[in-house]
Amino acid sequence: CFYCGAVFEETCIFYGLFYVLVMEFGEESSPALAFEKDAFELTVEDVYDISYVIGRDLLKISSTGEEVSDLQFRIVRVLEMFETLVNKYNLSLEELKMERDNLKSELDRIITESSSRQGTQTAGPNQLVVDLTDPNRPRFTMQELKEVLQERNQLKAQLMVAQEELQLYKSGILPHAEPAMVEVDLDSPAATDSPATVNDAKEEKTTIGKLFSFRRK
Amino acid sequence: MAKKTYDLLFKLLLIGDSGVGKTCVLFRFSDDAFNTTFISTIGIDFKIKTVELQGKKIKLQIWDTAGQERFHTITTSYYRGAMGIMLVYDITNAKSFENISKWLRNIDEHANEDVERMLLGNKCDMEDKRVVPKAKGEQIAREHGIRFFETSAKANINIEKAFLTLAEDILRKTPVKEPNSENVDISSGGGVTGWKSKCCS
Repeated sequence: CFYCGAVFEETCIFYGLFYVLVMEFGEESSPALAFEKDAFELTVEDVYDISYVIGRDLLKISSTGEEVSDLQFRIVRVLEMFETLVNKYNLSLEELKMERDNLKSELDRIITESSSRQGTQTAGPNQLVVDLTDPNRPRFTMQELKEVLQERNQLKAQLMVAQEELQLYKSGILPHAEPAMVEVDLDSPAATDSPATVNDAKEEKTTIGKLFSFRRK
Repeated sequence: MAKKTYDLLFKLLLIGDSGVGKTCVLFRFSDDAFNTTFISTIGIDFKIKTVELQGKKIKLQIWDTAGQERFHTITTSYYRGAMGIMLVYDITNAKSFENISKWLRNIDEHANEDVERMLLGNKCDMEDKRVVPKAKGEQIAREHGIRFFETSAKANINIEKAFLTLAEDILRKTPVKEPNSENVDISSGGGVTGWKSKCCS
């Protein structure tokens, strides 16, 4: 090899790399700068720069006639290990960064999802979250509904009783004074002026009977 | 108090799944009318109808319950006072038929022991949508020893017959005695005087 002096292509430290290095850095770029770098910032390209510089120095030594063949092989071996380590380190770093970004976005997704869910979802087993802005939200207890229904049915029953009573009165008494419905004597209270006949006495006991008694005057 | 307009007061109760037509069955019987719009009953309602059986004027106070599960606690408190219970299902709704056993269990748990029961398969005018064969209704009624009718509130089929039959069955086991002067009693529990005295003596 012109640069490192290797006899076989396989033993040349620039094997497969030389042309890439020359193309990338050209004349003016300085491969020696790789030595200045922080160890954790080294890329595999920096390893090739370092190899290039070491190879060039080895070439200088061998050109003086010194026997450095063993050292040369050991250096190549160390540089190869160095290359593998830097490569592996960078790949692991990249993987960890990707893994971190994935977990971050997953966390964001879960946080936004759970906060948007809180309004409508059940708070726990057998528990319901109520939206206070919903005009149709549940407001009354079963006991309250029960009482309202009981009162409604009570009033309904009373109305039926009243209707029945009215019906009785109409069928039993009204035929004698059919058009009298509108005649209301405002001067005297209805209850005081009822000269009830013996026949009607029983009917007079009902409230409705009393109220309507003025019609028979 | 006006003169009594009836000799006996019977309290009946309608139960069954939501939407089977309990309110319509009752509306047909009490007002001889039918309404197609579905309005779910809230909790409990009632209607009154006076009929004449064997020369006696019998006032039927018929309680109509909500079929929805959420009203369960309200409706079950009305079982106790009932002398007759009509269990209604919908012949076009298999689920309502499957739930009969659940409703029968409710009767066992909450109603008087000697309550008169009756099974009704409603909507029998909708033959094209039928999913429960008449024979299945007859079979389950036979198994439980209760009467069965297929009815239609819409087409007015068997409605009056069902109510009158239930009233007759109750009348048959009612001891002959002067009715007390109580009027419409809308309280939920408590049973019925005269009715209870018979079953507890």
